[in-house]
Amino acid sequence: MQSGFVEKLPAIVGAPNVLTGIDLSPYVVEGRTPAAAVFPGSVDEVRAVVTLAAEAGVPLIPWGGGTAATVGIPPAHTGVVLGLRRLARIVEHEPGDLTVTAEAGITLAELQAALRAKRQWLSLDPPEAARATVGGIVAANAAGPRRHLYGTARDLLIGITVITGDGSLVRGGGKVVKNVAGYDVPKLFVGSYGTLGIIVAATLKLRPVAEDERLLATRFDRIKDAAAAVRALLAGDLVPNAVVLLDGEASRAVGMTDGAPTLVVGFDGLTEQVEWQSTQTRDLGASFGGRATAALAPAAWSALADAARAAAATPAAVMRFSVLPTLVGETMEQGAGAGRQRGLHTAWAADAGVGGVTAAVFSGEGHQDPAALAALLGEWREMAHAGGGHATLEWAPLAVKELVPVWDDLGAAARIMRGIKLQLDPRQILNPGRFAGGI
Amino acid sequence: MVTLAADRKSSLRGELESILGVGGVLSDPDELLVYESDGLTLFRALADFVVFPTTTEQVAAVVRVANREGLPFVARGAGTGLSGGCLPAEGGIVISLMRMNRILEIDYENQIAVVQPGLVNLHLSWAVGPRGYYYAPDPSSQQACTIGGNIANNSGGPHTLKYGVTTNHVLGLEVVMPDGEIVWLGGRTRATPGYDLTGFFVGSEGTLGIATTIVVRILKKPQAVKTVLAVFDDIDKASEAVSAIIGRGLVPAAVEMIDHLTIQAVEDAFGCGYPRDAAAALLCEVDGLAVGIDTQAARIEEACRAAGAREVRTARDDAERQLLWKGRKSAFGAYGRVSPAYMVMDGVIPRTKLPYVLGRVNEIVRAHGLRVGNVFHAGDGNLHPNILYDPRRPGEEARVVAAGAEIMKVCAEVGGSISGEHGIGLEKADFMPFIFSAADLDLMQRLKRAFNPTGLCNPGKLFPTKKSCVEAGPVAYRPHAIEEKGLAQRF
Repeated sequence: MQSGFVEKLPAIVGAPNVLTGIDLSPYVVEGRTPAAAVFPGSVDEVRAVVTLAAEAGVPLIPWGGGTAATVGIPPAHTGVVLGLRRLARIVEHEPGDLTVTAEAGITLAELQAALRAKRQWLSLDPPEAARATVGGIVAANAAGPRRHLYGTARDLLIGITVITGDGSLVRGGGKVVKNVAGYDVPKLFVGSYGTLGIIVAATLKLRPVAEDERLLATRFDRIKDAAAAVRALLAGDLVPNAVVLLDGEASRAVGMTDGAPTLVVGFDGLTEQVEWQSTQTRDLGASFGGRATAALAPAAWSALADAARAAAATPAAVMRFSVLPTLVGETMEQGAGAGRQRGLHTAWAADAGVGGVTAAVFSGEGHQDPAALAALLGEWREMAHAGGGHATLEWAPLAVKELVPVWDDLGAAARIMRGIKLQLDPRQILNPGRFAGGI
Repeated sequence: MVTLAADRKSSLRGELESILGVGGVLSDPDELLVYESDGLTLFRALADFVVFPTTTEQVAAVVRVANREGLPFVARGAGTGLSGGCLPAEGGIVISLMRMNRILEIDYENQIAVVQPGLVNLHLSWAVGPRGYYYAPDPSSQQACTIGGNIANNSGGPHTLKYGVTTNHVLGLEVVMPDGEIVWLGGRTRATPGYDLTGFFVGSEGTLGIATTIVVRILKKPQAVKTVLAVFDDIDKASEAVSAIIGRGLVPAAVEMIDHLTIQAVEDAFGCGYPRDAAAALLCEVDGLAVGIDTQAARIEEACRAAGAREVRTARDDAERQLLWKGRKSAFGAYGRVSPAYMVMDGVIPRTKLPYVLGRVNEIVRAHGLRVGNVFHAGDGNLHPNILYDPRRPGEEARVVAAGAEIMKVCAEVGGSISGEHGIGLEKADFMPFIFSAADLDLMQRLKRAFNPTGLCNPGKLFPTKKSCVEAGPVAYRPHAIEEKGLAQRF
C-alpha cells in the first residue's frame, strides 16, 4: 500500500464514508481484509478516488451489493473497496420510452419497485435482488430463469457511464433502444467483473409487466426424460419465459423433497395465453413420463435463480457451465455420476433452453479435502469442454482455486482482451489478477 | 490516397493471384469502378485491387500481404450499406466476401446456424424456413445484403422492436484480425470466457477485423401474425398513438409510420390500399401464439382509435397483410414518382419525442426549400426522413446535406443517436461529436488500437477526420444497381 492513500480519502468523500479496521468485516473475502472501503457520493468523487488510486498504484475493488464478491481469485490484501451504495438514484425513467437510466448502486429490488409502479420492469431476475445492484448485475452478467426468453444484461444494456482505470469519465452507447453510432462499448462491461472501469450509471431497456404469469412444475423419474420433454418443448410452438431443469436435490428449492427431478416451465402474457400454454405443457410432460404437473407459488421464481447452490446450504464449491442446450441433461447426469464415484454429493440446476447449468458440491463429511474437490471440478470442466462448452468455478475455497483455475483458458482471444485491459486500465488497478487470463 | 507505382502494382497482382487464383483478383480501373461506392453514392473511392477469397485462410493471406505492403484493406459484402462504410477510402485492397456464401451447418435442436459472411440474409431464412425456423433480423435490403455486412453494421429492420437487432442473434465469430491472425470470438454456447468480444465486434463497421465464419441463432416462426393499419388525419396523433400502444403494455413485433407524401408516392406506384388523403398511417404487427392474437390486435386498434385514428382495420388475410407491407417496404422506390432523387437519413430519438422531432424535421427541410417524406420504424424511434431534391438544380444537393446535418443535431439534442441502423461510415464520421465527448471518442480510438494497431483495416471510418481524400459530391443520388433491378429498397 502506497503510504498516505487511505489518509487522503476522507478529504474526497468525507470521513464517515471511509471505513477502516473492524468496520471492514462485511468486505472480507476469504480471509482477505481490504485496506479500506470508500463510498463516493458522486461521479466526481468516484473519479477523484480512481485518479488518486491510479497515481498511487493502489488496487481498487469495485463493490455493489457484494453478491459476486467471491467470484474469481480473491482480491489483494492491499486493495481498497470502492463501494457504489451512495450512487443509487434513478436518473431518468420515461415510461413511454421503455428505458431507464439508473446509478450503479441502486439495488435491483428498489429499481423494480419503482418501475412496477408504472407497470414496467427490468427483465433481469438474478438471485438476491435485495442486495444485487444494477452495476454489479452488469459487471457479473448475472441472470435468472427468465433469461430463457428475455436474455441477459447483454441484451438489455443500451448505455453505460464508467470511470476507466486512468480516471476518465466516459459514456458508451446512449439512451435510445436502437443505436449503431460508434462501437458497442456497453457490451465490453457486461461480465467484465470490474476490471475495465467503475460502472457509475447504466441505461437499460424495459418491458411492460405482463397481464399474467405462471410457473408450472412437472415431476419426472429421470433427468433424461425431463430433458427429452425440454427438447420437445423448444421445438414446438409454445413461448415459455423460463425452462428450468432441477435434479432431485435442487428440487428442494421449489419445495419438492422426494428426490425426483423437476422440470419448471414459466409463461407470461395474456391470461388466455398462459392458460393454453399450461394445458399444453401438462400434456407434453405427460407424454415423456412426467406427472403431478402443478402451479408453483410466485415466490418460487426467486428460488429458481439459485436452486443448486441453495440445496447445498453452504456449498463446498459451485461451478457454472455454458453448454449446448441439447447437452444439458447429459451434463447433469454425468456430472452427478462423477461426484458419486468420488463420494461427493452434488445438486444440479439448469436454464435448459439456453444451456446454462449450475452445480453445487455439498460440504460435509469428507468433502473438505481440496485435492478431492479439485479432481472432481477438473473432471467437470473437461466434460463441458468435450461437448464444446465452458466452465467457470464460481465459488470454492482458496485452497481449491489454487488447484483448479477459476476461469477457462481464453485461447487466441487472450491477446485482444489483455490489449483492451491495458487501454482502459493502464496501471492495472481495477480488480487486478482476479479475472480470466490473469487480467 | 495511396498510389501504387505500375511495376509494384503488377507484382502485387501476381502475388494476390497466387493466393486467390487468376479469377480472384481485379485491378483494371474499369472493373474497380463497380466497387467505388456502396448504396450511398455521394461518396466514391477507387481501390487498387478487389479480391474474392473463398476461404478464411485466403482472407488471412491477403491481410498479411496488405500488412507487409502497408496497404489499407476493407471487407465488402453486397455493397448495400448506406454510409460509405465499405469504401476503400484510402486506396488499397477491397476484400469481397461474396464468394464465401455458404451455410456450413444448421443445428435445429440447438437453434443455431453456422454461415459464411457472404451469405445473403434472406437465404438463411429460406434455408431453415421449411423446418419452421427463420433468421430474425430483417433489414429491408435482406434480399441482397449479406450476414457479414449485417455484422459490420449491427443491422436492424422493422421487427427489431420485439426481436432485437443483429447483435442479439450472434453467438460467435471467426475473425481474421487486422494483422492476419485467425481468432474465434465467442462460440456456439451463450457464455464464453472473458470479455464479450463478439458483442463488441458486431457493429464495428469493418474496423476491427474481418468475420469469416458466423454463428447465429435461428428462431421458431411464430404461430400467428396480425397486421393492423391505422389511418390518421394528423401526424401528431399518429406519433402519440405509438406511445399509447407501448403505454398499454403491448409489445408489437413492429410499429411503422408512413407519412402523407410517402403514401401518395406508394399509392401512385403500387396501389397498396393506403388512403391517399391521410396525414399518416401506422402499420402495426403483433405475432406469437395463435391464442390471444386477436385480443392483442384489438387492443392495438383500441389504442389507435383512442389516440384519434379516423380508420383502423386489421388485415383480413395474408394477401391483404402482404399488400400493406409491400406499401411500407416499397416506399423508398416509390419516391421516384414524386421526385428525381432523394437522400435517406437515419437517426434515432426517444419515441416520446416523435411529435416534436417530426415537426422540427419538417421545419428544417422547408427552410432549405426542400420536401421530405417520412417512412420509418416508429416503435423504435428510428427515423428515416427522406429529403427529396433535384440534382440538376445547382446547389440543391448541398442544401440536402446541410439539412441532414441539422436533423442529426436535433436527434442528438433530444437524447437520441445519429444512426439507428445505417452506420457512421464516412457519411457521419464528422457528426460523432454531436453525441460523444472527446473522452468517449478517445476511448473508442483506444479500443480500436487493441484490435487494429496499424490502422490499416478500414481506415478513415467512424471517427471525425479532416484528411479524408474521398471525392465528395456534387454527385446525384443514384439508385443502387440492386434497387434498379427491384431487388431491394432503402430503409
